[in-house]
Amino acid sequence: MATQPEQRHSDGRLNRMSLSKQDAVEKARKDLAQRLNVDAGSIKESVEDADFPDMALGAAEDDEMSGQMITSGWRIRLDANGKNYEYRADKNQVRLFGFKGKNYRI
Amino acid sequence: MNRNNFLIHLALAIVLILIAAFAGQLNRWRKQWRSHVPRPIPASEKKRASTSTEIALAESRFGRPEVLVKFKPGVSQETIDELTLGLNDRVEDRIENAPGWESIDDLDNADAYQTVAQYLTMPEVEYAEPNMEIELDAVESSLPPIHPSDPRFDDQWALANSGQRGGKQGADISAMHAWLTTTGSDKVVVAVLDSGVDYTHEDLAPNMWKRPASIAPYHDDQLGTVDDEDGFNAIDNASDPMDENGHGTHCAGIIGAEGGNNIGITGVNWKVRIMPLKFMNAGGFGTTKNAIEAINYVIDRKKAGVNVRIISASWGGTQRSRALEEVIRKAYENDILFVAAAGNATVNNDRSPHYPSSYPNVLSVAALDRHDQLAKFSNYGVKSVAIAAPGVDILSTWLGNAYEEKSGTSMATPVVSGVAALIVAENPRISVDQMKKRVLDSADPVAGLKGKVATGGRVNAAKALE
Repeated sequence: MATQPEQRHSDGRLNRMSLSKQDAVEKARKDLAQRLNVDAGSIKESVEDADFPDMALGAAEDDEMSGQMITSGWRIRLDANGKNYEYRADKNQVRLFGFKGKNYRI
Repeated sequence: MNRNNFLIHLALAIVLILIAAFAGQLNRWRKQWRSHVPRPIPASEKKRASTSTEIALAESRFGRPEVLVKFKPGVSQETIDELTLGLNDRVEDRIENAPGWESIDDLDNADAYQTVAQYLTMPEVEYAEPNMEIELDAVESSLPPIHPSDPRFDDQWALANSGQRGGKQGADISAMHAWLTTTGSDKVVVAVLDSGVDYTHEDLAPNMWKRPASIAPYHDDQLGTVDDEDGFNAIDNASDPMDENGHGTHCAGIIGAEGGNNIGITGVNWKVRIMPLKFMNAGGFGTTKNAIEAINYVIDRKKAGVNVRIISASWGGTQRSRALEEVIRKAYENDILFVAAAGNATVNNDRSPHYPSSYPNVLSVAALDRHDQLAKFSNYGVKSVAIAAPGVDILSTWLGNAYEEKSGTSMATPVVSGVAALIVAENPRISVDQMKKRVLDSADPVAGLKGKVATGGRVNAAKALE
């Protein structure tokens, strides 16, 4: 699945998302439901606060460089069709970690 | 003359004789008192700390003023006199070759550090320090030689670790000793290749680079001409490098938040020029392509005459790019030192490289905590990581005139970049090889770093300037 295009203000600056934990979980659930073509309501979740090693939350996409600053966020574990999937999020972003060997910024 | 007139004249004569005698005694008393009061040291015998033996000799002969105070430009002598009088002090002398410095005697003979603290609270004062008896081994002195007036300096353990918050005393980069030699120079430009910089931050604005009118705007065959007045934005190929994340602003403050301005913190350099380059977005990540474009920009500006000698790169990833490696080599060949974060994955970079820190021609930096231990998150590698610097709970500038504590090899990297900038300030013609060697040779051995980083130690700013 392709990543979403960056949203920008009218002056061209990036639109700074400020996601809450609940926003991030909802975004992750929708993304996984689309990827697996399952009902989002059937996906089980667990969320914990986490510190990630960098500003790509330790889940950089190919060709992505990130600030090497410890970043606080949430580890979102989703369970669908008997399998576990890990999303990582902070106030700026949600990422899918290690899905079929790759990371995705959603 | 009758008898009465004679008596009147006699009485007047006696009174006059008594007045003259009393005045003479007063003069003798005054002379005796003067011999016990410190006399001003002649300006010719008073210089800054670099001529310490002369100061000590002069002071031993003439008595010693208590504190040295530097007032801000524009503060009148009348105001200075009023301020010192208010503390029952007096100005001893202005110091030759040190504009703005006043040597002040505390007539109460109070503790010099208390007096310094009083002056540091005054908005008219840039900074103050005790007038210490400086000996030849001043660098080893346990007394802090230069204490900036920045109110949150005591939270900056990386620069001066006094054991605050349970840290290890002395586990710092010896910045206060380094500042005896230099506090930096506005002739030295450091490129902060990051998420941009909040160039309006009150503690950064005076130290931000601006393209001089004598240097033509940036031109690239693909991008066209960019009016790079404030730096460069490689995301939009535009001129505005405003930070929308905070990471780049934090790194810039570590290198060069203005020192001695009674605001916030101080950088490793009190004075420097920060060139903001933006290639990471509001989330704190960016592409290799944009990083390359920004480095090409720096090389171009160097060739155009900008004295940019250091690129500070607090970012990385695990994917190798020959193109990025190549442009970093090109920067090095243009006398620009590339300093990069070793990474935060607690891995050995000798086995699992992290880029750009694992490329040749890069000075790679690991992070230490306030206890002088390798940070639990820090990457390491005796072959691929050069040196360590403080990188945990580092206080620095943030968006919106704020300050925040952050951790990461991102924070350790600008400490080393800042030390490199001090070296250039003191040695303007130094080559990139010599600059790198000075940084590496400065390392203070740290037991926990043996076998972890090439130098086995922590960068020491004072040693780097010896």
